[in-house]
Amino acid sequence: MIRFIDVTKVYANGVVGLAGANLHVGKGEFAFIVGESGSGKSTLLKLITREETPNTGEVQVNGYNVHAMGRWEVPLLRRSLGMVFQDFRLLPNRTAYENVAFAMQMVESLPREIRRQVPLALGLVGLGKKARSYPSQLSGGEQQRVVLARALVNNPAVLIADEPTGNLDPKTSWEIMNLLDEVNQRGTTVLVATHEKNIVDAMKKRVISLERGTIISDAEKGRYEHED
Amino acid sequence: MKIRTMRLLSREGVSNVVKNKLMSLASIGTVVIALLLLGLVLLVAINVKSNMDQMRKELEVLVFLNIDINDLDREAIKAYIREREAAGEVASWKYESKEDAYRNLQASFSDPALLKGMTSDQMAESFSIRLANPEDGAHFIEPLSQMPGIQPEPDGINYPQQTLERITGFADILNTVTLALMGIMLVISVFIISNTIRLTVFARRKEIEIMRHVGALDSFIRMPFFVEGIVIGILSAAAAFLLTWRGYGWTHDTLNLMLADLGFGMFILVPFEPVGMRIVLLYFIIGMAIGGIGSLISVRKHLNV
Ligand SMILES: Nc1ncnc2c1ncn2[C@@H]1O[C@H](COP(=O)(O)OP(=O)(O)O)[C@@H](O)[C@H]1O
Ligand SMILES: [Mg+2]
Repeated sequence: MIRFIDVTKVYANGVVGLAGANLHVGKGEFAFIVGESGSGKSTLLKLITREETPNTGEVQVNGYNVHAMGRWEVPLLRRSLGMVFQDFRLLPNRTAYENVAFAMQMVESLPREIRRQVPLALGLVGLGKKARSYPSQLSGGEQQRVVLARALVNNPAVLIADEPTGNLDPKTSWEIMNLLDEVNQRGTTVLVATHEKNIVDAMKKRVISLERGTIISDAEKGRYEHED
Repeated sequence: MKIRTMRLLSREGVSNVVKNKLMSLASIGTVVIALLLLGLVLLVAINVKSNMDQMRKELEVLVFLNIDINDLDREAIKAYIREREAAGEVASWKYESKEDAYRNLQASFSDPALLKGMTSDQMAESFSIRLANPEDGAHFIEPLSQMPGIQPEPDGINYPQQTLERITGFADILNTVTLALMGIMLVISVFIISNTIRLTVFARRKEIEIMRHVGALDSFIRMPFFVEGIVIGILSAAAAFLLTWRGYGWTHDTLNLMLADLGFGMFILVPFEPVGMRIVLLYFIIGMAIGGIGSLISVRKHLNV
């Protein structure tokens, strides 16, 4: 599903974001990307979503080289990738329902489809009752659920979450992580960049560790830190 | 883009105009000023041109015949003029007999004593001819000057070629200046609008990012800004038109009275009506164009789409 071949990203200021990364995440997999702040987690994810361009190497999504495709194809790539962020990014003047519907309107889904899918997506994340609330009326966890519903409503093949629990308390973090796991159970490939040592260790998923731009380990049912 | 998407994004653009009231007003204000300057330049040009056209049309070729001209020569000259009239080159012409000339002379002197000893026999017959196209004077005069019965060189054929050339030259300069001023105005307005849109782009950067993330096409992202620019253009055009209409009406009435009072009755401002429609059209077209173009420039520059 996602493949990195010798990918290096050096920012304009000379900082190395990612160095010679090789990686394969298969369809339906769940993988954590861990590493301390500045280790290159966001860089790795942004190379998938084409928010950043690599200096060398190739990033593939579903067999297509993400950085060789034309400008007009990028929106189509993004439609196959659901995105969740640490800072939520909801439209403040739209309700939860409208925020989720917005994602469907932007891909020109039929109004009938929107009316059917949005409540389903909100139900999936457990927010069926808060559809009419504005972001300011929702807790951080609830806002992140809306974001998750928005990311899922167009049925992406891959869900990419960059520190989705970074602004949430431990209990809520667990809820969100469990939701991500649920999403993965339903067949979506899930990539989560995170700091949450406890959760990572407890969930026993694949863990890809980064240190200063380099993948230092990649383990099935891994833990946050190597203990050799 | 589907109609419902267009509606959704357009609503967004219109609401941006309302949301950024202050910025919108500021840019509408500037575009109005640009349009008004444009209108002013145009109206001045139109009026100067209309009066010059009038002057041009009133230019006449005067042909003075020999005092002792015979009927044959006179008829030949008349025939030549008629022939050119049939060809559409002559707009109108008049023949003045010796008696007419004498009467006119009499009428121009208040004291009949001054004409003592003069008879109509001493007067010259003449033709006065208005050409359909005054620039073609030489073409009309050339064959005429070869014909017998016309007085010799300096007095025979009178055509104010120099006046005409001066008028034409002035009209050319006026056209150039008008075009240049209009061009400058347009560039300034586009710059101003694109600056306003830049602020909206900044204010909406979060929303733009979300649109990108959910896979909206670039054209979707551009659309609200485009609509915002167009709306600003339309509102500016409407305001500029109202001001031009009222302002010109007042100027027209006042100035025409003043010109008449001062004895310049031959110079008049043209009425607003036929010209006004063209100006409305121009305001709206240019207003929307600078709005649209300004926003696209801004979006391209600050959004990279
Ligand atoms: N746009 C950028 N320009 C320059 N340096 C950047 C940019 N984005 C990230 N970096 C640097 O690249 C390194 C990796 O950053 P990032 O991928 O955001 O790490 P993480 O998400 O793991 O905290 C850091 O040193 C960061 O300062
Ligand atoms: Mg990061």
